[in-house]
Order: sequence, then structure tokens, then C-alpha cells
Amino acid sequence: MVTNVVAPSPTRLRVDPIRFEVIRNSLISAVDEMGVALQRSSYSSNIKTRGDFSCIFFDRKLRAVAQAFTQPIHLGGLARMVPIVVKRYGLEKLGPGDGILSNDPFLGGVHLNDVTLISPVYCGSELFGYLASLAHHVDVGGGAPASIGAFRETYQEGLTVPAVKLVKGGALDDDVFRFFMANVRAKRETAGDLRAQVAANKLGHRRLESLASKYGSEALNHYIDELLDYTERRTWQEIAKLPQGTFQSEGFLDDDGVTDEPIRLCGRLTIDQGKALFDLTGTSGQGSGPMNSTLSQTFSSCAYVLRCLVDPDLPVNAGFYDAINLVAPEGTVANALHPAAVVGGWEVSVRWVDIFLQALAPALPDKVCAGGKSMMCHAGFGGFDPRPQRDHYYCFLECLAGGYGGRLGKDGPDAVQAYSQNTENAPVEDVELNYPVRILRYELVADSEGPGKFRGGLGLRRDYLFPGHEPTFSILADRLKVPAPGLFGGLAGGLAYYGRGDSQNGEQPLRSKTTFTVPHGSYVSMQTCGGGGYGPPSERDPALVLKDVVEGKVSLDRAREIYRVAIDMDSGKVIVEETARLRSPRVPE
Amino acid sequence: MSQNKLRLGVDTGGTFTDAVVMDEETGDILIDKVSSTPSDPSISLHQVISQALHTVGTQAEGVTFLAHGTTVATNCIIEGKTVPCGLLTTHGFRDILEIARQIKPEPYNLQFEKPRPLVPRQLCLEATERVDAEGRILVPLDQESVRQAARRFRQEGVEAVAICFLHSYLNPCHEKAAADILKQELPGTFLTMSSEVCPEFREYFRASTTIVNAAIAPIVSNYLERMEGRLKGLSFAGHLCVMQSNGGICTSEVARRKPVHLVESGPAAGVIAAAYIGIVSGSPNVISLDIGGTTAKVGLIQDGTPKISNEFEVGAKATGPTSHAKATGYPIKSSVIDLVEIGAGGGSIGWVDSGGALRVGPHSAGAEPGPACYCRGGVLPTLTDANLVLGRIDPDYFLGGKMKLSTVAALRAIEQKIAEPLNISVTAAALGVVEIANSNMIEALRLISVKRGFDPRDFALVAFGGAGPLHANALAAEFDLPKVIIPLSPGVSSALGLLLADTKHYFSRTYLHRLPEANLEELMDAFAEFESQGRQLLLQEGIPSERQSFQREIDLRYAGQSFELKLAVPSGILTAAIMDSLSEAFHRAHEQAYGHSAPGEPVEIVNLRVTAHGHIPKPRQKRISAKSNGNSALKRCRDVCFRAEEGYIETSIYDRYRLSAEAVLNGPAIVEEFDSTVVIHPGYRATADVFGSLYITKQ
Repeated sequence: MVTNVVAPSPTRLRVDPIRFEVIRNSLISAVDEMGVALQRSSYSSNIKTRGDFSCIFFDRKLRAVAQAFTQPIHLGGLARMVPIVVKRYGLEKLGPGDGILSNDPFLGGVHLNDVTLISPVYCGSELFGYLASLAHHVDVGGGAPASIGAFRETYQEGLTVPAVKLVKGGALDDDVFRFFMANVRAKRETAGDLRAQVAANKLGHRRLESLASKYGSEALNHYIDELLDYTERRTWQEIAKLPQGTFQSEGFLDDDGVTDEPIRLCGRLTIDQGKALFDLTGTSGQGSGPMNSTLSQTFSSCAYVLRCLVDPDLPVNAGFYDAINLVAPEGTVANALHPAAVVGGWEVSVRWVDIFLQALAPALPDKVCAGGKSMMCHAGFGGFDPRPQRDHYYCFLECLAGGYGGRLGKDGPDAVQAYSQNTENAPVEDVELNYPVRILRYELVADSEGPGKFRGGLGLRRDYLFPGHEPTFSILADRLKVPAPGLFGGLAGGLAYYGRGDSQNGEQPLRSKTTFTVPHGSYVSMQTCGGGGYGPPSERDPALVLKDVVEGKVSLDRAREIYRVAIDMDSGKVIVEETARLRSPRVPE
Repeated sequence: MSQNKLRLGVDTGGTFTDAVVMDEETGDILIDKVSSTPSDPSISLHQVISQALHTVGTQAEGVTFLAHGTTVATNCIIEGKTVPCGLLTTHGFRDILEIARQIKPEPYNLQFEKPRPLVPRQLCLEATERVDAEGRILVPLDQESVRQAARRFRQEGVEAVAICFLHSYLNPCHEKAAADILKQELPGTFLTMSSEVCPEFREYFRASTTIVNAAIAPIVSNYLERMEGRLKGLSFAGHLCVMQSNGGICTSEVARRKPVHLVESGPAAGVIAAAYIGIVSGSPNVISLDIGGTTAKVGLIQDGTPKISNEFEVGAKATGPTSHAKATGYPIKSSVIDLVEIGAGGGSIGWVDSGGALRVGPHSAGAEPGPACYCRGGVLPTLTDANLVLGRIDPDYFLGGKMKLSTVAALRAIEQKIAEPLNISVTAAALGVVEIANSNMIEALRLISVKRGFDPRDFALVAFGGAGPLHANALAAEFDLPKVIIPLSPGVSSALGLLLADTKHYFSRTYLHRLPEANLEELMDAFAEFESQGRQLLLQEGIPSERQSFQREIDLRYAGQSFELKLAVPSGILTAAIMDSLSEAFHRAHEQAYGHSAPGEPVEIVNLRVTAHGHIPKPRQKRISAKSNGNSALKRCRDVCFRAEEGYIETSIYDRYRLSAEAVLNGPAIVEEFDSTVVIHPGYRATADVFGSLYITKQ
């Protein structure tokens, strides 16, 4: 709990404010450069297209100083994990040019696919800090291609690397490398991605060395202290501007992927004295399937919620993270213990954003949104590529977008990623060129929006066909049973639908967490959920309802029955009197 | 300058429309400026041309060459003034523009908006057809589905239609067949095919490029016609040429068909000028720095050739001093001079954030209300105010004295908004504003050089724009650039660049094959096809074959990667040995760009490219006379502050126009001219060359 909080003192820097700004930009630019090099030279579409990576610099006291990432999901996770890994591995066992590899969820990590390389930074012989690059590798072995599925324990999820020295004095350890490679399916991609990580860390090291030699490592450390203080001070001020008090809400995930029991998420946020306390007591115990988060995954969503509420210009470093207090009881889906399967941990984690925004809605009606997709929605598949001269095991993973929740004064956008998830879609042509798959359709799902004065966004549909082979397909998603909730009288968004079918037998619905073989000639259809509405749909501006109908996003019947707007399609106009009659209180619902 | 052949360059900017008239024989130059007329830019264009010709005392028939840099194309998008248009696409994919990249432009802003598609969903129609990733036809084109779409487009009154089918970059036959049908059904409607505008894979980007082309074509066309009408009124008989984003010019006929290639027309000309100045100064490797009122634009030129990027986002929104949010605008696949643009210009505002750090930009006071010293209602301290307070700008010689600045107002703004909150002196505050603006600009220099794998020490800095010469010396010193070059009349470098550009046309298409498996015949055929198209186009533009040249390039990557590196391909017959050397060159380029390479890995071809150059003879540059020293140009002395340690020191102020060739000025010194001020710091030296350019180097 938060006790004895003292507001950070003066709003004035104790260093030259000009040099401070220059150094701050240089530190960010060093990790940014690492990120660019990593993304541009990597192979996994997760890294190169979807931008699922993160680069970070820690000072010698293991405090996060500067971080580069395009995925907000990487907030906090690395900042928690690197100090844990370094301490466990042993500072004394590290030397110049070393790099330790780790993906252990139970060593401060997230899920096994996120592989991190940590390198100490030296100025001459003196330890100056640490650099880490994290990348989502497409496959780390385990029970299904792309290492996703309804696994029951972490041993099924792939190879665990428990902090192992991969780079020794600048050279790759071939034994470790071969051992790692023997356990993964997509070998060329994985080798290329690891090379890119090693090079990115080297690049970051060079940048920091030159900064330290320019300013002197002592002076630089002094400025880093000041940067963290400055961030803490601004974070404190930002939090103090928020409504103070305790806000709570709860929600459910469909099931744990093995049983049909719903998962309960229970969140209480206390904003007080410049700190934010996230208390998740009351949340379901860890389940028998993959829907469990590590503490780092849960922390990331809390950090995301806070970041959305404060000035976007606030730097992300230890000074910001320290304002977050998290209480997540061990053994729950928010803080799972070994040997739980955690590959669905992000599905759970991102849902916390929904819960906390709903909790804050009465206090901040203009800042929040109604419930949204709030899941990663993974589709992964792989097998032997049947195309000529392509005879290798391929793996593919993507996450599909869905509807966003309505906001005060604004509809929720159609087909976008959930909150802290911001991965790009792989172009249809890119996928078809590189993998033995054909995309049959990629379109919005009409009538999937959560109706509201400001409606939720539409979900989307992507259908896959696999010419010439029978791949293994996994879905790791949610929202088949529990829709995105509406806010202030807005209705819930449409549910998701996942199915498999062929021309002879028709289509059968699939579970939201499942792995199966796709028979010859069958297709898989993924249809994601819509976002929740904001405000009563009967108060929606009829002109906007008309626009949705004209655009084919909302059907004529739905416009009439739910929005209570009558439209004449021949003239393309709202029938004003009829609409007034439909909306008058005397007409029964 | 009188009855000789004249060349005319006209550049429309946000504030001013600039004209440069150059005598082809003598190299004499005349500059003119009028205020821009954004509602119809052809008005200010007409004004500046007639004014300039009047000054020269000639008629437009003496003008042999007229090149124009325009912001009309980009403004259509930024101001949302596109025409109603339709998209015809493959069945199952009508939402290509609605879904876009499925990302949120501002991931921490819960109130974000996706950019509004340029075509409303009811006008995104589907044709029944399908081509696979090998270019084979899976479903033949159903002509009736195209006719149905045409009827709908007609009912809705669209003025332009874009056609984008899946994998049309491999096999355009369905797009062509559909275009033929639409041509019959919709006479007079502008039609554009993705396989013609941008035959590269990645459907959203190709569709977006084609749609932008369609949505602005009628407007650009109309503008160019209006302009040609006005020129005819001035009895101009030559070709009207337009600057493209790639830094090459084209005739207005070509520009009308593919206006998507004009979106960076304005900024491109400045880079061309910088490249030229670099070459005549013996520095073919330069970084160009163009600082205006609201932004700074930085480009990189290697061996006299500006770096080109093959993607760009039109209408993207700035989110920070050095960043634009991805996916806030409309992506286009077009050859665009690679520029880093940041919100740091003379009007950028200095402010103290809530944590007590001093910041500059990205907010700008713009031209209205403008910096505090303009006394037009602006009260916030800007970079111009800081330069004024430091004595670097003369309040009585701004725009050659046409505009008076108030030092008192500048001092007050800096004192109240920065010095007092930070508890530092006004001088320290002004120095701080300049230093932080410089640090933002250095970030831009870093993005264009180091982050793309270039060592800044191999480049000279060519600075222009109103504020470029004020900051160039300090930036070069901080970022280890060995030399600064300030051209004469840096305020109109962009207009000058228009007179120095060659004609350029780019051709590209996706050809996805591993390097060893590539069919050399096919490759040569593809290059030859592009070259013959280029040859034809250049001939149409009146460029004879002896002034044509063609440059082949190839985009390569390791099989499995998604980002490509562009390499030059020799002309003539391709052999296995040439392909091997390309492969080796790729490994080296990868090592240089990313710090590692994998010589054992298969290398994949992604795109084939050809640039068709039509060489335009360069005008002779005017030489200035040589005298022994700079004393004759000395105007007076004033106190200027360069560093906090020394405070204000007495500094010589020189008149740029009286400076002779080989003059040597030791810093601290200031050189003033009509539209710009050059700052030379202590410890540095400026020398003038025979063309009037100033070189600033370390003493």
C-alpha cells in the first residue's frame, strides 16, 4: 500500500536545462536507432511488419532510462524483467561484449516467444549500464506452429531459455546457438532475427560509448539521475491532476481454453498522492489452459492505462514506472505461477484496460471509451510448404483487428487493434507471396458495431484457404461469449465468430482457443468482434445513422429497430416524421 | 540581362511566391517575391512572373524555359479538397481503404481517429475476378460486374475512378480490361490503374497511391490549365514544366496524368539546388538544410544525387519536434526525395514544461501572429526572437529593412516566458532556445545520415531558406560536418533549384525471385521495356536522345525480410558474373546499413527500377570579381552573443553583396543580405568563392 508519500520537490532542474534536453534526446535516439536496425534487418513478420520488439537502456543501478518501442504492450515488461534476469544471472559473471538471452516467463518475463538479449555497456573497463533488445520470434517450438495454442503448462509452449550467455566477448556461442535452433521450427527466420538482435545491441553500445566519452560518464550519470527525478516529478504532477479516489469495476473473459468456466477480472484503482495503485484482488485463480498472465504482462496493462491518462509527452522510464503500484495476488490469472501456460497471457492482460476504463468512466466520461476488442486475437498456422523449391517448415502468425469502443462525441473506429496492441496487418499480397495460403476475403463485418449515440467500431473478417497441403492452425482469442460492453446506455458490440468450412459440409463454429488440422479444400474464417456503443442508440444523430446505412455498415432494419431511424433508400434520406414517431417515448421498445 | 534567352523558375510557398529569372548566356540572375495567394495560386504566379519580366524589361516570348514548384497537389489532401472518386477492386476486398493498416496512429490517445478514407465505402465497389500470387488467373473478369460498378459510379457523379485488383503488379490484364469497359461507360471521367501508377506489391499501399492520384488529378489538371491560360496571356510559347517529388521536372501533360508524383514538388527543388551548389563547390556529398518559418527540412545528397525514398505519407500529422505519426495520412508509393522534416523554424515557440525543462517547438507562431518581435499580436518567444535578442539578426535590416523588428518585444517575451520561470538571465534563456532548436535539428541531421548508415564527416552542409544560414555553423560544429556552404540568395534557393533540375521519370515493378533463380532474359526485357517507355516520354517532352540517359536499379533483401536495399545495376547485357557481384554488393550494403550480413543466405529481388533522365543544359553561373579581402564589404560593428562564457562581443557585420571572391572573414562575423543572415562563430572562418557562395570552416 501507499504510505508516507511526499511530493517530489522543486519543479526546477538542478542541472543545466539546456544540456539536459540535449542529453535526454540523445539517449532516446540511441535506443531508437537500435530499434530501426532491428526492425529493418529482421525476418519474422512479427518484428519487421508488426513491429513487435522493444529496445531499452538501463543505467548501472538497473533503472530503466530510455526505451524505444512501437508496441505499447512493451511498456513496463522489459523494465521489470531485465533487472531480475541480470541479478539472477549474476553481475559478476558478465564482461565486455557479453550478451545473455532469456525468455523465461517466470524470471520476470512475458511469454516464451518474446526473446530478450541483454548486454552490459562498458566505458573502458567501467560498467556504465545495460542494453536489452526484445523481439517476438515467430516460433520457439512447443505444441503447435507459431508456439500458440490451448496449452496446459509452460513445457508445451516451447523452449525456455533461462538467462544463458549467447554472446561471449563479442562472439556468438555456437553451442548455445545450435541448441536453441534445434528446438524451433522456422529456422532461417529465427537465425536472422537473433543476428539482428546481436547487431542492434552492438549498435546501441557504440552510441552510448560515444555519448559517455563526449560528456564523461560521471556527468552523464548525473544527468540520468536528473532525468529520472524530472520524470518522477512530472508524473506526480500529472497524477495529481486526475480525479482522486478509488474506482472499481469487473469483467469476464469467455473461458480458460480448457474448461467452460468464465474468468473473472476484478480491478480497483486508487489514485492518491501522485501514485496509482492497481489492486486486482478478487480475480480468478490461474486456470488450466493458456489464459494466464505473468506479473510483467499485467504490469504492462496498468502502465498503459496510466499513460493514456497523462500528458503523452511524459518520458517513459523508471521515474514513470515507479508511480505504479500493483497488487496482483500470486496464483491468479494476473500473476500466474510456474508451471502455468502463459501464451494467452496477453489476451488476459489487455482486458484490464477495458476494466479500468469502465471503472474511471463516471469520473472521466470525456477521456475513456466503451469496451473494445480487448483481445490480441491470434491466428497462427504452419506446416511444410508444398510449393516448388520451398520445401521447408513455415510458420505464420498474425493478430486481427476489431472494433474500438465509442467515445464522447466520437464513434469508435472500425477495425483497429486493441489498446496497448498496435501491430500492423500483413498485406494480403505479401502473405500470399511468402506463404502457401490464399486470403478469400478481408472486409468489415456489417452490423457488428455496438449501437450507441456514438457507436462502436465494426469488427473484420479474414478467410484463409490452404492450397496443396493441410497445415496446423491455431486460434488464440476470446469474445465468443462475452461481448465488448457499452457505456452510458450504449449497447454491447457484436460477438466474434471463428469457423471452419468447405463446399460439401458447410461451416462449423470453432472454439476461441484451439489447434486443429485444416483438411484439403477447407477454409478458416475469422470474424472479430465490434466495439461497444457510448450513450443510448436512440439518441444518435439520424444523419449519422443514414451515413452508416448508405455505407453498408449498418442494415436498414437495424437502423429502424435499434437506432429508431426510418430511412427511405430510394431518396437516400431520413424520414423525419417516422423517425420522430419511432423515437417518441410512447412507442414501446 | 535583356534580349538573351531567359529561364524562369517559380516556386509557390506558404508565405511567398518566388521567381528567379536567369539569363542563359551571362548567368545574370534577378529575384522577385510576391505574397502567395492560396485561394488560387495561379494569381500570385501571374503577378510574380509579370513583375519579374517587367523589371527585366522583356516579354514572355523571350523565356525559353519555365519550371514551377507547386503545393497544389499536397494542399488538395491536407485541406480535404479532393474530388468525389470511386474505387474498383477485387471481390472480397472492398474495405482495403477502411481497414488500412489496422493500427492506431496515436496508441496512447483513446480519442484517436483513423484518417478518413478518400473514397466513401459505398463507392468502393467490387469486380468479380482473381489473380493469384504467381500472376495466374483464378477467376476470369466478369465484365458485367464492372458495368454494374460503372452504373453506380455514374449515379453518384464521381469525377475519377481508381482500379486496384489483387496481384495486378504481376498481371495487369484484368485492370486493363476493366479500364476499357469504364472508359466506354464513363466518358470524361479520369481513370487510373494501380498497375500503371504503382505496379508494386502490398495492396493497401498500391491502392492508396492510386486513389490519391485519382482524387487530386482533376484539381491539378484544372490548376495547370488555368496557369497555362495565364501564361498564354503573357505570350509565353514554351513548355510549362513542373517539379516532381523526385527532384526531376516533367511537362504539365505528364504531371496531369500522374499528379500523385507532385506531392513533394515544393521541397524537392531546394534539394536540387543544394546538390548543384555542392557540385560546383567541389563537394558532391552534401546534406541540405532548409529552415523556414515553421519547419526545417533536411536531405542527403551523395555523389551529387539526392537520396530518394520510395514511400511517403501525404497529409501526415506532426506529433513531436522530430516525429510524424505513422498512419495519420495517406501512404503513397512514389519516388520522393528523402527529407526529414521537423517542426523547428524561425517561428517555433520556446516554452518551459511542467518538469522545468526548456523546450522548443513543435508549435509555431507561424506568419500570424508571428514572433513577438513582429509586434503583430504574438507574445510567445520564438527562435527568431532569440536570434534577435542575441544580436544575430539586425532589427532594422530584416528583409533588407522592409520590415522593422522590435527587440524590446522579443526581450519581454523571453524574459516572461522563459528566463523568469527558469530563474536564468535573458541571455542564457535566448541562448538556450537557440541551442535546443539546434539540438532538434541535429536529431533531423542524425535521422537523415547516421540512422541511414552515412557518416556525417563525409558531408558538407548546404544551408538555405530564411533561417538556414543563421544556424548552419553551430549545427556543423556540433555534428562534425567539416564544411558549411551558404549559397548566394539563400532565401530563393528553391526557385533557383527549378532551373537546375533535369527531367526525370521513374518506372518500377515488383519482380519477386531469388537472385540465382532470376531469368536474365526476363530481367533485361523488363529493364528494356522501361527504357523504351522512358525514351518515348522524353521525346514527347522534346528531349533528343543524345540528352537522354537511363539508370537501372534493383531492390534486394535476404529472402524472408520485408525491407529492401536499393542497388545500382549496370546497363547493357546482364551476365551471371554481374548478378554475383550484385549479390556481394548487397551483403556489403546490408553490413553498412545494419551492422551485420549473412553471405550464406539467399538474396531475393523485390523490385526493378529504371530512372529515365533527360539532361537539361545547366545555365552558366555568374562569377563575382576577386579582390583581396572582405574589408570593402564591412558595414559596421555590433554586439552579438555567441556563447554564454564571453557574453556579447563586438562583431563585424558585412554586406553580402559587396563581398568579393576569395574574401576571408574570420569569426565572429555576420554577413547580411536581403533575405538572410549568415552567422560565423568565433573560431570559424568564411571564405567566398567566385560564385559568391560562402564556405565556413574551422580556423
